[in-house]
Amino acid sequence: MDELLQFAITGVTVGMVYSLIALGFVLIWKSSGVANLALGQLVLLSSWFTYGMLVQAGLPLWLGFPLVILFSLALGWMIERFILRPLIAQPILSLITVTLGVAYFIEGAVSFIWPKSVAALPRIFPQEVVRIGTAVVSQEYLWAAAISLVLFILLSLYFKYNKMGVVMRATADDQLAIQACGIPVTKIFSRSWMLACMLAAIGGILMSSIGGITFGLAETGLKAFSVVILGGLDSFLGAILAGPIIGLAESLGGGYLTPLTWPGIREVIPFIIIIIVMFVKPYGLFGEPRIERI
Amino acid sequence: MNVDLPAGTRNYSYAKDMAIFRTRAHWALLLSLLVFVFTAPLYWGNYWLGVANLIGITIVAATGLNILTGYCGQLSIGHAGFIAVGAYTSAVLTNRFEWPFLVGLIAAGLVAGLIGLVFGIPSMRVKGFYLAISTIAAQFIIIWVINHWTGVTGGFTGIRVPPASIGGITFVSQASQFYLIMAITALTVFFAKNLARTRVGRAFVAIRDNDLAAEVMGINLFRYKFMAFFVGCFLAGIAGSLLAHWTGFMNAENFTFMDSILYIGMIIIGGSGTAVGPIFGVISIRMLQQGVMFISPMLEGSFLDLPAGFTTGIGPMVFGLVIVLFLILEPRGLAHRWALFRTSYRLWPFSY
Repeated sequence: MDELLQFAITGVTVGMVYSLIALGFVLIWKSSGVANLALGQLVLLSSWFTYGMLVQAGLPLWLGFPLVILFSLALGWMIERFILRPLIAQPILSLITVTLGVAYFIEGAVSFIWPKSVAALPRIFPQEVVRIGTAVVSQEYLWAAAISLVLFILLSLYFKYNKMGVVMRATADDQLAIQACGIPVTKIFSRSWMLACMLAAIGGILMSSIGGITFGLAETGLKAFSVVILGGLDSFLGAILAGPIIGLAESLGGGYLTPLTWPGIREVIPFIIIIIVMFVKPYGLFGEPRIERI
Repeated sequence: MNVDLPAGTRNYSYAKDMAIFRTRAHWALLLSLLVFVFTAPLYWGNYWLGVANLIGITIVAATGLNILTGYCGQLSIGHAGFIAVGAYTSAVLTNRFEWPFLVGLIAAGLVAGLIGLVFGIPSMRVKGFYLAISTIAAQFIIIWVINHWTGVTGGFTGIRVPPASIGGITFVSQASQFYLIMAITALTVFFAKNLARTRVGRAFVAIRDNDLAAEVMGINLFRYKFMAFFVGCFLAGIAGSLLAHWTGFMNAENFTFMDSILYIGMIIIGGSGTAVGPIFGVISIRMLQQGVMFISPMLEGSFLDLPAGFTTGIGPMVFGLVIVLFLILEPRGLAHRWALFRTSYRLWPFSY
C-alpha cells in the first residue's frame, strides 16, 4: 500500500511533464497540420543546452533559464521558417518525414557538441524529501507538477484572452477563414513552433532535473506521442488529462509488472498503450473522429 | 508522346509496349550491368565487397519499405524493427534449431511479414500520422522483446549466427556472400519493378494517391493495405536474415529507431514510389557513410581542437541535413533527376 501511493505520486507528476511536452505537439498539429516527430530530440537538445549554460558556462540560474527559453524560441522560429515553410501544402508524408530529418540532425548535433552520454543539472530545487502520507517524494517531482500546472493555467489564459492566442485557436479551427480575415497564417505557424519548442525546453529541464540528462530523454519525447494518441491529436484537454494517465500507467506498471514480466517493461508501457488505443479507439479519448464524406 | 523511348522507336504490339527492356541497347546495358556486378569479386578488394554486400542487403530492405511507403503510402517508421524480427528469426532457427539456411531465410520473411500485419491492423482505421506512431510503437516493442527474451534471442549479449549454406556450399568469404546477396537483391528489384506494374501495384498507387477514390472504384482497401504491409515486411525479414548471416553475430543495437529513420531517408533521397529509387538512395546513403567514416579521422588528425564527439556526431548531422534538403529541394528524389537525364539523353540532339 505504501508503494501504491509512492508510484501514484511519481507517476502523476512525471505524467504532467509529459502533458506539457505533448501540448507543444498538439499546438503545432492543430495550427499547421504538421506532425512534429522531432519532439524527443527537441527535449534532448534543450536539456543539453541548459547543461551548457548552467554548468559549462557557469551562468547563474536567473540568467541561464531565460537564455534557454530564448534559445528554444529561436530554435522553433528557425525550424518553422527554414524547414517547414518551404514545405507548406506538401503531402503529409513529406511533412512527417522532414521532422524525422530534423530529429536525426539534432541527435547528431547533440552528440557532436556534448559527446558525454550522461550529465546532471545543478540542483535547482530544494533537497529535502517530502512525506505525503506514507510516501516519500523528492521535491523535484512536486515542483515539476506545480510548474506544469502553472503553465497549463497560463496557456489556457493565453488562448482565452490574448489576441494571438485567440487567433491561434481560430487557425486551428479554420485556416481559410483566418486568411480571409487578413491574418498571415505563416505567422501563426511560426508562433506555434516557438511555443512548442519552449514547452519542450521547459519539459526537458523538468525531466532532467528529476532523472539527469541522458539520451533517454529523446524517448521521453516519444512517450509524449502516447499522450497525444490517448488524449486525441487535436485536443488540448485530452493532452492535459492523458499525460497523468500515461505517467500513472508507466509508474504502476513499472512497479507491479516488472516482477511478473521482463525488466524494463516500464519503458515500453507507453508504446503498448499506443497500440491498444489504436485498436480500440484510434482517435483517442477526446479527439475528433475524422469522418470522410464523398 | 512517349518520351520513354529513344527517338524513332515505335511499339507495334501491347506486349512490346509493356516490356521493361525494349531495345537492344536496353538489353545490352542490362547484361553489361549484370556481368559487371557478378564479376566484381574478381577486381574488388574484400573491404569494398563488404560495403557492396551491405548495400545489397539494404536495397532489399529499402525496396520493402518503398513498396509499403512509396507505393502504398503507409508510412512505416519501424522498419528496422521488422528487419530485426527477420534477423532474429533466421538466427534463432539456424543457431538453436540448426535448420538449413534457406528455411531460415523464408521463415524470416514470413514471420516478419506476419508481425508487420499485426502492427498494420491499425491502418484499417487510421492513416498518416496515426499509423506512423503505431509503427514507432512497433519498433520499440519489438526491440524490447528481443532484448529481454533472453532464453531465445540471447538478449543484450546477442546471438551467434552460423554462415549461410545452401546444399553443400557454405557462404563464408565476402566474395561468396556477395554472390548470394546480389542474386537475392537482383530478384527483389525485379520483383518490385514488376509488382508495381501489376494490378496489385496499381491498386497500391491508387490507395496512396486517394484511398477514398480507390475504395469507390472497387479496390478492397483492407486486402491491399494488408498485402502492402505483408510484402514490405516480408522483404524486411529477408534483408534481416541476410544481414544476420552476413555479420555472423546479432544484437539489437543494429536495429535502432535512428536506423528506421535512415531507411525512410534512403527512399526519400532515392525517390519514393519508383523502382530505381531505393537503389539510388541506398547507394548514396551508404557511400555517404563511407565518406564520413573516411574523412572524419582525417579531419580529426589535422584539426586538433575539434570537439570530441565529432566522429559520432557528424554522420547523423549530415544524414539529417541531406533528408531535409532533399525534401525541400527535390522531393521526387534522385530517381526523378535520373528520369530527366534519361529523357534528355534519348531525345538528344532534338528538343521538344
